[in-house]
Amino acid sequence: MANVNMQVNLGGLIMRNPVTVASGTFAAGREYNDFVPVERLGAVTTKGVSLNGWTGNDSPRIAETASGMLNSIGLQNPGVKVLREKDLSWLEKHDVPVIVNVSGHSFDEYVQVIEALDDDLRVHAYEINISCPNVDAGGMTMGTHVPSVEKVVSLCREATKKPMIVKLSPNVTDVVEIAQAAEANGADAISLINTLLGMAVDARTRKPKLARVVGGLSGPAVKPVALRMVWQVSKGVKVPILGMGGIMTGEDAIEFMLAGATAVSVGTANFVNPHATADVIDGMIAYCEQYGVKDINELIGALEC
Amino acid sequence: MCATGLLDEKGKVLSNKHLGRNLYLLTVESPQLAKLMEPGQFVHTLIPGMEGHILRRPFSVYATDAEAGTMDILYQVVGFGTQHLSTLAEGVEISNIGPIGHGWKAPEGCKRALVVCGGVGAAPLFMHTSEMVAAGIQVDVVLGAQTAEAMVCADRYEQVLGSPAVLATDDGSLGYAGFCTVPAKELLDTNSYDYVCCCGPEPLMKIVSRMAAEAGVHCQISMEKRMACGVGACLSCVIDTPEGKKRCCVDGPVFNAEEVIW
Repeated sequence: MANVNMQVNLGGLIMRNPVTVASGTFAAGREYNDFVPVERLGAVTTKGVSLNGWTGNDSPRIAETASGMLNSIGLQNPGVKVLREKDLSWLEKHDVPVIVNVSGHSFDEYVQVIEALDDDLRVHAYEINISCPNVDAGGMTMGTHVPSVEKVVSLCREATKKPMIVKLSPNVTDVVEIAQAAEANGADAISLINTLLGMAVDARTRKPKLARVVGGLSGPAVKPVALRMVWQVSKGVKVPILGMGGIMTGEDAIEFMLAGATAVSVGTANFVNPHATADVIDGMIAYCEQYGVKDINELIGALEC
Repeated sequence: MCATGLLDEKGKVLSNKHLGRNLYLLTVESPQLAKLMEPGQFVHTLIPGMEGHILRRPFSVYATDAEAGTMDILYQVVGFGTQHLSTLAEGVEISNIGPIGHGWKAPEGCKRALVVCGGVGAAPLFMHTSEMVAAGIQVDVVLGAQTAEAMVCADRYEQVLGSPAVLATDDGSLGYAGFCTVPAKELLDTNSYDYVCCCGPEPLMKIVSRMAAEAGVHCQISMEKRMACGVGACLSCVIDTPEGKKRCCVDGPVFNAEEVIW
């Protein structure tokens, strides 16, 4: 890591480098630890957790699409208690900040999840998921219009003093207006984008490829949309941005930082290349060395339009 | 439960032969995985040159040669990925994550086993069959295929068993004319087994599971579902069990038949 400062501050969360993982693509890090020791990451973002757990959607839950994939997992998770017993107990043996992705079916459930975790020192920050397209209540239904964003973010803010990142959906008319509502109600950072709502059809069987019919699109296919939204939001809010959407390489990550992101998440790339997070970090360092960047923070919003 | 000891091994395609119908035999250089793969485990393969098709494909392992450092994968062309795989020339490098999941496990003290294979389901049971034969277990094998041309594993099974497996083809072009469930049922009724294992299309595994349950014989099956990560993180490949959802990749792919809610 020669002479490049890679440390960033994401709304109060100090990360040793700007790279975390997109919630739901990395579990809590253990499954990928043979390939990338979690300590290498700037932070681990855990799979979305609800109060008592959800069973998720029917199978098939994924479909490959051009330069990407659809998923409709539906936030299958075992609940906060298991997160604490299993995942946080494993993570506490590793020197890495933990961002817990918080999900709920109702305003109350988001708050209850935070209350169940807030005295746990192993949780360093929250990512409030108001953007999952695969659940019928909560998720995206809360994150796509301003009054419910204001309400859920302000309720969560009252429940914690830890850094709170609010994860936004791209399935909106004006993402800047949503980001500003989150910022005004206490978000310390904004993460985007969650997946784009899409579908795939099997012409041969005349059936949808996903049991739920629709699902969330991710992977390189969504990167241009993600970059555009990061850039727009960065001009509309003062809080830092955690950018994601189709990041496969260090250069992709640099592009997000230039567009205004302070940190980035690697998601679908983990499925393709289990070393993706480490490769992205190494690629970012190589970029900085090649272009004489001494501090990665110089790149945030450095896009020259 | 979590994945441990996984490798991402890159190795060259040594041969990629068309065996008949839509079936191919890939031999890939894999010095480490060839030593580590246990019968029934699988690899998650990144096939190069697929452009917009970004995901890996899971493949069961047919045979390994630890000395030569090679692995055989029998595959059927079913979609873009396997079609593209069938075009790979010798020398092309592919990446395999493995060894993934839980393999077959004959019950303690097993004396006689019935192996039922449908189509390419013969591949993931081959090493297990060899292992059981070597352990002195009496093994009866039923191989089902659509046609004689698609019956591509019979020779290897005969070598290991020392006598031909029971063959069945849907079109009657070789062996019993009809589904392999019929000769499997006859064997189950005639002999006394303490273990049945089955791999093939889901309807076959469902029927064999039920037959084994009715006969009171322990049965294992190997599940396949659409998979993204292959390491237990993404929860794409879950199946329903009495204990809730389980991941086909790392909780399976081999399950006790009574665990699976069909």
